[in-house]
Amino acid sequence: MANLETQHLDSIIASRRNMIALGGAALMGLAFMPRANAATLTDADYLNFALNLEYLEAQFYTLATVGATIDTLGLGIASGDGATPGGTVTVKNANDYASCKVPFANALVSSYATETASEERRHVSFLRAALGSSAVAQPDLDLVNSFNTLAKLLGIGLNSFDPFASDINFLLGAYIFEDVGVTAYAGAAPALTVSGNLDAAAGIEAVEAYHAGLVRTVIYGLDQSATTLGPAGTARSVATSISHLRASADGSNSITASNPQGDDIGLGTQTVMLEGTTGLTASTLVNSSTTGSLNPASTAGGTSGSLTFTRTAAEVLSVVYAGGSAGVGGGFYPKAMNGNVK
Amino acid sequence: MKTIDELVRKAVSRRSFLASASTVAAATVITGCGNSGPATTTPAPTTTPAPTTTPAAPTYMDADYLNFALNLEYLEAEFYLRAATGSGLSTADAGTSPGAVTGGAQVTGFTALQQSYIYEIAQNELDHVRLLRGALGSSAVSRPAIDLTNSFNALAIAAGVVATGGTFNAFANPMNYLIGAFVFEDVGVTAYHGAAKLLTSKSNLGVAARIMAVEAYHAASIRTQVLLIDVAMPGSPYLEYANQISALRAVLGGGQETAISADTIVPCDTTNAIAYERTTDEVLHIVYGTAGGAGVKSGGFFPSGLNGNISATLS
Repeated sequence: MANLETQHLDSIIASRRNMIALGGAALMGLAFMPRANAATLTDADYLNFALNLEYLEAQFYTLATVGATIDTLGLGIASGDGATPGGTVTVKNANDYASCKVPFANALVSSYATETASEERRHVSFLRAALGSSAVAQPDLDLVNSFNTLAKLLGIGLNSFDPFASDINFLLGAYIFEDVGVTAYAGAAPALTVSGNLDAAAGIEAVEAYHAGLVRTVIYGLDQSATTLGPAGTARSVATSISHLRASADGSNSITASNPQGDDIGLGTQTVMLEGTTGLTASTLVNSSTTGSLNPASTAGGTSGSLTFTRTAAEVLSVVYAGGSAGVGGGFYPKAMNGNVK
Repeated sequence: MKTIDELVRKAVSRRSFLASASTVAAATVITGCGNSGPATTTPAPTTTPAPTTTPAAPTYMDADYLNFALNLEYLEAEFYLRAATGSGLSTADAGTSPGAVTGGAQVTGFTALQQSYIYEIAQNELDHVRLLRGALGSSAVSRPAIDLTNSFNALAIAAGVVATGGTFNAFANPMNYLIGAFVFEDVGVTAYHGAAKLLTSKSNLGVAARIMAVEAYHAASIRTQVLLIDVAMPGSPYLEYANQISALRAVLGGGQETAISADTIVPCDTTNAIAYERTTDEVLHIVYGTAGGAGVKSGGFFPSGLNGNISATLS
């Protein structure tokens, strides 16, 4: 079976080919992504940036579990000052929200989804309350073209992807979001100036990491019973392709020969050495730098391993815009985010 | 097409440049605390003695919090390394005149999948020890004495997992081992979360936030696996064991617990869904296995106490 390294070689070649096939526009967005100037951003800017991400997660999980949008459950999506109404949410079947309720076959996956949905809604409510009248409105969200575009970019023969179609599709949809949430909060935490904001951001970051650990453990486990998406590959290999795409799309810490996963570790195996015991086959449940075979000790220096990655706001945007340009938007945010980070 | 390909190449080489630049940055991260001396307690004001008031809390420096974390990472590294290979930290990684480690043995009977998880977590915790030791430099404390036998026995009795006088060998089989792992991981998350806002250096804070997230990935995986034991073996006691331990941690460590169920994989508050945090005192009470306010200096997993300035409870 292909290990992560060879999977990566296949997928980088394929996704490169796909980016080229999709045309220069997507690529320009990646190559010339301006980096947000951290010095000009306030705590409120970062919290509003986080709020944009939480709106997306809350809508995704709530649609998957309830078949409805969060505003119909009583959450506010207009701006805190009431001046801007909440944006639209584009879903399949001409915006038939009920059709997004996943026909879960596995009761545990259904429970995990329900828990995650409620936690993401609480993050929305918490951030809106913390921001008060400064809270931005929910931007327009797209849960159809976004997934389809990303599916094509994976370069594994998927031309479309419906994350609401089945348990495993749902888990892969969740996989797209959770690790990114961790890197976004980890990247922003040191920039926050108010202790209370930092404390809350660290606490939300940890919850996103719990979600990510849960999703990765479940996909990893399901893969042992050979859960596949047909010709596109096993659940694990598709997840790995998603990681490779994120590692490439964010424009930093790219995939190289000596660092074959870049700054996003897929689901596979690595060889580790534990205090002289060599050749141990370990999993990759944690999306972090590693001193294992994925990132040889010569790179890690033996002292920089096992930290989760971080992304700047600009890097997160390039992932969630799926190649769209800063300020213009694309992917999950067809008209960009709301607020000063967009 | 050729033009686009050119752009890809340029983007790739720019990214490679950024990648190597950030490697350099990573190597210099959390320096600046290496030479900081041990924190001293804030001297009490001499002009207005107030004998009845509580003395001012000590002022800790970043190095004190990082050494506190290093003690916890030594514990986790020994726990996972011994289960994975039968051997613990090397002399080079344990520091000068390290404390002895009691108990711990290679665990047999793991499925291939479980084994791969344990190897991964062992590597992560070993990396954390090396990272913190490297960052602290000459200020790094050595490994304190660690007890992986009597600690679990006492904890299991206190939690009601076994009867008084009973034993709980966390290394006896894979299920017991998962319960042992459950003891640590959520606590690690709460410890790093609690410390994050107390760190003064932004780079130290950034690293702490990233270690915290790794511990949360571990914790989620362990909680999920404990739940799955219950699914695979209905009526087995392990989920209840874990939740008895969770209840004990709440008693010792100021609440901050959510029992494991299919609906509650993530331990967090139910209003805002923000992960819990603990003070150093609350963490000490848990790892010392001892409730009871100020002045607790050792016990449980650390029979001679933690090394460093944060070792005795103040509350």
